[in-house]
Amino acid sequence: MNARLGCLLFGGFMVWGGCRPTSPASRKGEAELSARGQRLTTSLANVGMARTSALAKWILPREMGEISGLTLMSDGRLLGHGDETGRVYVIDPRRGAMLKRFSIGSAVDARADFEGITTMEGRIILVASDGMLYEFAEGEDGERVGFIVHDTRLGHECEFEGVAFDSARGFLVLPCKRVGARKLRDQLVLYRWQLGGSRDSILAPLTIPLRTVIGSNPWKGLHPSDITVDPATGNYVLIAAQEKALIEITPSGELVRAIPLPGKHGQAEALALTPDGILIVGDEATNRSAALTLYRWPPTASTPGPP
Amino acid sequence: MPMMKRLIDAVTLGSERPLRRLIAYYAVLVVALGILLFLYPAANALLMSGEITTSVSPQILQDGLNAPAFVQEALGPGSLGELLINTMLVIAGILALMLPVTWVYMSARRVPGHDQSLVQTLLILPIVVAGILLIVQNSLALAFSLAGVVAAVRFRTTLDETRDVVYIFLAIGVGFAGGVHMLAIGIFTSVAFNFVVLLTWRYDFGRNVLQPTAASQWSEPLKDLAKPTNGNGAGVPDRDVMLALTPKKAEALAERIDRVRKVLGPNKKNPRFNSVLSITSDTVGEAQALMQKALDKLTKRWVLDEVVTHVGKPSEVYYLVRLGKSMSRDEFITGIREKAGDRIAAIDLELGDGVATAQNGAAP
Repeated sequence: MNARLGCLLFGGFMVWGGCRPTSPASRKGEAELSARGQRLTTSLANVGMARTSALAKWILPREMGEISGLTLMSDGRLLGHGDETGRVYVIDPRRGAMLKRFSIGSAVDARADFEGITTMEGRIILVASDGMLYEFAEGEDGERVGFIVHDTRLGHECEFEGVAFDSARGFLVLPCKRVGARKLRDQLVLYRWQLGGSRDSILAPLTIPLRTVIGSNPWKGLHPSDITVDPATGNYVLIAAQEKALIEITPSGELVRAIPLPGKHGQAEALALTPDGILIVGDEATNRSAALTLYRWPPTASTPGPP
Repeated sequence: MPMMKRLIDAVTLGSERPLRRLIAYYAVLVVALGILLFLYPAANALLMSGEITTSVSPQILQDGLNAPAFVQEALGPGSLGELLINTMLVIAGILALMLPVTWVYMSARRVPGHDQSLVQTLLILPIVVAGILLIVQNSLALAFSLAGVVAAVRFRTTLDETRDVVYIFLAIGVGFAGGVHMLAIGIFTSVAFNFVVLLTWRYDFGRNVLQPTAASQWSEPLKDLAKPTNGNGAGVPDRDVMLALTPKKAEALAERIDRVRKVLGPNKKNPRFNSVLSITSDTVGEAQALMQKALDKLTKRWVLDEVVTHVGKPSEVYYLVRLGKSMSRDEFITGIREKAGDRIAAIDLELGDGVATAQNGAAP
């Protein structure tokens, strides 16, 4: 009886040991990642492929179900974060692999209503909806890193939903989802803030009439969810989950394009742009899984001007 | 369940020892868990919630374009399908963990008998607790609402044994573990609980040496009764039969003896009856009527003791009788045969000690 029992237990633990998630360290994993990279390159080079077709789509793990912001690092890695905790995920967007994750906070993860992420001169910035900025350095896998908090004192004026660093001009751009000031409610408002400065560092907000932005699109308003800077042109690109919209404006406030989001998206809360023209859209989990979807940028062949 | 029983029987080679069967059950469970994790690796998150994992080795994300659309949309991470599968797995896991707890509860008891409703509660309660926790999750508002509802609906119950409360606590604990996707802790807790309870029961741990065991509480009086020369000089002749009695049988025997004592009357030198007459008959009513007349003539006094009816075989009738000194056993049986023989299948007479001694002494 004992021998039989021993065999059963041993077999159970062997099976247990054999069911770890697939790791890129394995030969099979490496081959899969390599194939994915090649597929993306082929798709990018395929000029006959519709520009609104997804190049790739990566299903995010459950812990990233509330993905709220994305940004690209200079080496091509993608940073993403959740909605409630200061946990940052580092992803290889071209091959669909999660490389590591780290948290901000010394003992426990910092908690806030985090809405956007960007990188600025080697530092990483998270913005909360109340306008607090959390500045920190990249951490190792599983590491907790310290952070510095900057108060923009704009929380009563705006509910922030994203952040991007305009490296050419040296300030952060923060779009408003909901504007506090009554006189600005019919405007698309983007605050600009120089990190490390005092309240005097706030530059005049960039405003564009909503009517101009919406144009002929059937949107009743515009509630930006995230912002990024196009590395090729320096233009600001915004995404709006509620309206399923993509907006591109110049740093001086001129509308370049306002188009519907390509593909099907439940709640597109985050976006990023690569220098070689890949648009990455991050969806929160709804009745579907959270996902990253890759498109060509811009997703339309023609460039519609302001209506 | 029969398949599970056969499996456990095969592993334990048919052993009825609870400890072996428990080990076999957990061995089967470990193998089943291994197979489940092999086929559905995401179930690992139900054992150890991702919240406690601090680091992640690089992992490949699922391809949403090249995988079947149904799989990635309906069963992917965070989808409704995954939620349903995970909830079903949590419930199945809780049942698998609580089943042996109910076995231990039913077997490892100090006194015989158990509360069936508690057994069922041990299976149902953790499922309800897990369901509530799956709804509440991290929401403080929902937790307060839950507290309000629980405060409004109060359950009060009295448990027979103090130790039963611990079973309820375990059920709640396993339910919590399932609800927060930490079933690994639930597994370790229930396994440890079962083995500790079983071993403490097996070795009667913590028993006061001056206090008799549960078994001895009823067997001691029977042992005393079985002594050839006990305190009151009324030892039962067949010691083995007496010691083999279960509490239930001993109680039935005591009732019967008590009834006979009432019939026999107070403890005098000459008892009211000195023999037991038993007959068997297919027609009890008619036999009794004939026997009444016969007994009136052949005995000094008699009383009907018991009628045991059977289906498919002759019924039995017992009489307590007092025979006269001149009446021998053979004469008495012959007399009964003459008067009621056509209605009687068999007849027997057990003589009391005094009558038997007198008749044996009179015999040449």
